[in-house]
Amino acid sequence: MLELLVYLLCGSIIVSGILAVRLDSLMAAMVSGSLAGLFAAVCYVLLAAPDVAMTEASIGSGLSALIFLYTIRRTAGAQE
Amino acid sequence: MAEGILFVAAVLIFLGILFGVLRLILGRTVVDRVAAVDMLTVVSISLIALYAHVAGRFIYLDVALVYGVLSFLAVVAVARYLEQGF
Repeated sequence: MLELLVYLLCGSIIVSGILAVRLDSLMAAMVSGSLAGLFAAVCYVLLAAPDVAMTEASIGSGLSALIFLYTIRRTAGAQE
Repeated sequence: MAEGILFVAAVLIFLGILFGVLRLILGRTVVDRVAAVDMLTVVSISLIALYAHVAGRFIYLDVALVYGVLSFLAVVAVARYLEQGF
């Protein structure tokens, strides 16, 4: 039962990575890339590595999303 | 009894991730995608809590706590940005 969830999570990482590359809007691409990091953190928990998951959740989701937001705003490149 | 409740929770988490990713793929506007990511975050937190109970390791709940605080921060920052604030 949990294996099916792991397969779904890995497929979701691949889908959100492809979306982060292919989407036109910079904001939507940033959100999709952040989602890939969040799902990777869940996969780390399911692989019994909670410290790696905590680091991934704090840096990959929180810090990099804020840095991307700041960069998009400073370069004024957020065409919708 | 408890096994049945856990099975129903796992099925609901499965459906939540499936339809959330579908909304992320099909989403027309940025706001749709941000809402889908917020919903997927809550579903992922519930998945970590479920796995902490199944595996019997309650250190995993700390990961869920950090996860919830930081994803909330990111979604709030994106919402402030979409209002042209920041």
